[in-house]
Amino acid sequence: MYADFDLLIPEGLNQALGMIAKSKADTDIAPLGGGTNLVVEMRARGKAAATLLSVGQIADLRGIEIADGRVTMGAATTVSDILRHPRMPDVGSALFESAGVFAGQMVRNTATVAGNICCGSPAADLVPPLLALGASVTLQSQRGERTVPLDKYFTGYKTSVRKPDELLTAISWPVPAGKSASRFYKLGRRKGDAITMVGVSVFIEMAGGVCTTVRIALGAVGPCVMRAGKAEAVLLGKAPTAELIEKAASVAEGECAPIDDIRASGAYRKQQVQVLVRRLLNQTIESLS
Amino acid sequence: MNKLDSAATGEHNVNFRQIGKARTRTDSPGKVFGKTPYAGDYVMPDMLHARVLRAKVPSARMTRLDVSKARALPGVAAVLTFKDLKIGTVATDIPGQTGFKRRATDQQILVDELVRYQGEPIAIVAAETVEIAQHALSLIEVDLEPVPGVYNVFDAQKPDAPKVFGTDNLVASYKVRKGDVEVGFAAADVIVENTFTTQYIEHAFLEPEVGLGWEDEQGVINIRSSTQAVETFRYIADAMGLPHSKVRIRGALVGGGFGGKCDVTVELYIALLTKATGRPVRLGYSREDSFYGHGKRHPFIINHKTGFTRDGKITASKIDITSESGPYAFMSPYVLMYATEAGPGPYLVDHVHIDSRSIATNNMYTSAFRGFGATQACIAYEQQMDEAAKVLGIDRIELRRRNLLKTGDAIATGFKVQSAVWTEECMDRAMAALGEKPKDKGAIRYGHGLAAYQQGYGRMIWLHDTAEGWVGVEMDGTVLVRSGMTDIGAGQTSSLAQIAGELLGIDMMDITVYNSDSSTTPLAGTSSASRGLYMSGNAVRLAAEAVRDRLAARAAKHFGSTADDVDFANAQVFLKSDPRQTMPFKELVAVCASEGIHRAELAIFRAPFGDWIDPETGQGQVHPDYTYGAHAVQVAVDTETGEVTILKSIGAHDIGQAVNMAAVEGQIEGGVAQGHGYALSEELIYKDGYLVTPSLSEYLCPTSMDSPRIECIVLESRSGLGPFGAKGIGEPGHTPAAPAVANAVADAIGTRVFDFPLTPEKIANAVRKARKAG
Ligand SMILES: Cc1cc2nc3c(=O)[nH]c(=O)nc-3n(C[C@H](O)[C@H](O)[C@H](O)COP(=O)(O)OP(=O)(O)OC[C@H]3O[C@@H](n4cnc5c(N)ncnc54)[C@H](O)[C@@H]3O)c2cc1C
Repeated sequence: MYADFDLLIPEGLNQALGMIAKSKADTDIAPLGGGTNLVVEMRARGKAAATLLSVGQIADLRGIEIADGRVTMGAATTVSDILRHPRMPDVGSALFESAGVFAGQMVRNTATVAGNICCGSPAADLVPPLLALGASVTLQSQRGERTVPLDKYFTGYKTSVRKPDELLTAISWPVPAGKSASRFYKLGRRKGDAITMVGVSVFIEMAGGVCTTVRIALGAVGPCVMRAGKAEAVLLGKAPTAELIEKAASVAEGECAPIDDIRASGAYRKQQVQVLVRRLLNQTIESLS
Repeated sequence: MNKLDSAATGEHNVNFRQIGKARTRTDSPGKVFGKTPYAGDYVMPDMLHARVLRAKVPSARMTRLDVSKARALPGVAAVLTFKDLKIGTVATDIPGQTGFKRRATDQQILVDELVRYQGEPIAIVAAETVEIAQHALSLIEVDLEPVPGVYNVFDAQKPDAPKVFGTDNLVASYKVRKGDVEVGFAAADVIVENTFTTQYIEHAFLEPEVGLGWEDEQGVINIRSSTQAVETFRYIADAMGLPHSKVRIRGALVGGGFGGKCDVTVELYIALLTKATGRPVRLGYSREDSFYGHGKRHPFIINHKTGFTRDGKITASKIDITSESGPYAFMSPYVLMYATEAGPGPYLVDHVHIDSRSIATNNMYTSAFRGFGATQACIAYEQQMDEAAKVLGIDRIELRRRNLLKTGDAIATGFKVQSAVWTEECMDRAMAALGEKPKDKGAIRYGHGLAAYQQGYGRMIWLHDTAEGWVGVEMDGTVLVRSGMTDIGAGQTSSLAQIAGELLGIDMMDITVYNSDSSTTPLAGTSSASRGLYMSGNAVRLAAEAVRDRLAARAAKHFGSTADDVDFANAQVFLKSDPRQTMPFKELVAVCASEGIHRAELAIFRAPFGDWIDPETGQGQVHPDYTYGAHAVQVAVDTETGEVTILKSIGAHDIGQAVNMAAVEGQIEGGVAQGHGYALSEELIYKDGYLVTPSLSEYLCPTSMDSPRIECIVLESRSGLGPFGAKGIGEPGHTPAAPAVANAVADAIGTRVFDFPLTPEKIANAVRKARKAG
């Protein structure tokens, strides 16, 4: 059964920031993107925030811009928007791959990027590629604006540094420069509309035969999407040999602590982190040579 | 040569004008243009809304039930508990047009003292709005004291197990003894033994259970509901202490059934609340209600011990079958019978020994599901054939070829099948369509799998099944059909129009069909058991033939010819011997009307009647007839992650005669998609009786992205008992799909996962285990 709530529909970002300014907790005013997470949860729990603030409909917050060496997406950009952007395969190939295996067509058409990040799910599929791409998020309130690197955004299971009066308004990352590539793989129990069992994304930049940037992000194997920092360190500054890739994969497996649930056991998830990190590193490095 | 021996002869090819063609169904325009109302679309003035309060625990004693606060809530019209019921129980046996005396399978309507499964209904509420009804549920005070329950069939069979059903938790058991298995095993060079298990699954129809009831001016309780069986009106009347004539079920087009809407679902609650309030009552299940509110497919554990000669001939088949019933009988005894009868599969085996049993637990109760136990049997016998082929070193298809039943052979129960048995043809056609296996790439391995099957259609013959149908011609020459048959989306009503249209020379699109009204359309039995077309199609055929015969006699007089020279087509009547002699159909009808010639007929079709099979030997006839065929699948398996991609899926079936080829393909395609899910991803998981997968985000049906194009190969032996030689296809299309997937996966990975569903994790673990073992 649905819970009762008020719905605020602001005309623009400024009005939205004014409306949410008095929110002291997420239970006061909750931003509403496409509603594909929030509404499902409201129905399941029979509980809602007192007021929903529709930010998914704010036109200024929707769109993808590439300028000054950065890719910037408005918070209300949908997953389908990512797939439709002609340059996305070049400037964010891991994100593009993720959008292609995200949910199903109907959900992609309405689910927003901000909603995916802010729902805080460890299985959120856009987050590993965004972490791999080195993304930051912009948080805005009437008090001002701040930019937080995505890997500093989550503080635990469904918790983050966002304050109740802040809106996430933009996500951006540097246009990959030089010799670099990124990949994402979603391991699900079926191909469409599946909650991810393990999501892995990697980004590698190489120069002079060695890895100059390595980012490995893991989804659904911890309380929030995480970077596998130790595994990254195995390859950083090195020539990526088969042995090192194998080692990085085992280190990544050791870094995560997945739980057992109805989709998969923790043991299988760990095993698959190793499989997928190895596989994606190989594919990424092959594509660079 | 027996004329049924080969599909290749084509000698009995006959010319139909409408039958056998792929036609747009008569129900399609209404659905496509959004004009077709489903049961949930109906509303009435002054209508109340109902909700059901369900037990949150699987095994408990109710020590207190206080509904006073709920009753006092403004807007609540009625709250009913077991204390308000005149009769506390309702029958759960097969409904329909049978002369069979029911088994004692009654279930409590609302919890009286003991809760036996999670979700068992405790109280029902009718209120002015759904929200008030829902609020009222939260005001009902229930104390449930946990009672030790039993949650698997092994524990339930121990002497000290809590008793859920009867004195020993045994819901039903059967034996088949044909020949002497010991003799058979003594003659074997190789004996192969394996155990296969299957899981609880959900029908997951698009349209959850829903209905609207009202009492009319004759004091009849009318219920418009989404059902496969309007005949449940009898059980509802019995449960309320009303005469059968005072309950009327009017179906609507159904948004999916798959067996899950054969039992009484919302109808009884609606009837009780309508009677209690004197007002119309609507009850629509949410998806969650649907998960908790109807019986599931039975999990099975099947052990096969099979003896083979070195050259692959089966010498003996010993099979042990256990199904899980849950706490109530529902269809469990019959489902077990199907599984037992189908046990050894479509193979000729001289020495057969089968023991089977259905065991009660406090997990969810189980009931009808497309295939009705023959599906689970197929999952076991077809995986066993592949495992045996591996041990014997004989090609899997060749091993089957050496053992297949042929036309005229006797099946495990000793019954000699009268219709064509074209399994081999179907197998070869399906394998040929599969083509070459692609080359393995890295961790990706390709696999081919096949499953053959035998599936009864129609009811077990001791149920004495009948169906009635009515065909009439209006004065202006338009044709009406009346049939109690429900239309569950498979094209049931459309096929009746096509049959009447073929015989009367009127296009099916111009025929009006009234159906699924238990009071005004002739009762035809449920749309289940692959019996719809077989039974109701025959009833309508008989009625149309009778009308046609009378019209033809009058036309013969007009033409000065004989009745058998008269033919009907394109709304014209003409002479076969001289087609230039014609008369518009409507003119002939006008003549008949003015002369008082009867232009309508109510016909009854009777399936073969018989007795129960011998209880000691299991020998005798179970079904009127059987459908045979085979399904082939090509998969790609990622041996590291365990993910499976189905690349090709091909069903080849001898369906006797297609009535509407497009509808036949629809049945095969839908059944196959359901089979893919059964094999790979669908599973209702009960943990100590608690459902841990109660929504469609945990219960994973295949999506369009998981489904390849499904190919259908339809053979027509014209040897079935249905109209024009049709056999049933509603269940058979589904039956072999899941084991074919399992065999393809096993072929790809070189080892087997013996328990369904084949999740990525189980597959990856099996590969790792096999590699470790070397
Ligand atoms: C059938 C189905 C399939 C799905 N499949 C997938 C999948 O494959 N992968 C996946 O990752 N997810 C999946 N999801 C989950 C969901 O679709 C995604 O998480 C989606 O990105 C959520 O976006 P939304 O715009 O709908 O968010 P909403 O539901 O509107 O909001 C989600 C949360 O974010 C908050 N929020 C939204 N916008 C802002 C903002 N601008 N600032 C601050 N907080 C904000 C909301 O308050 C809420 O807490 C699926 C959901 C469904 C129903």
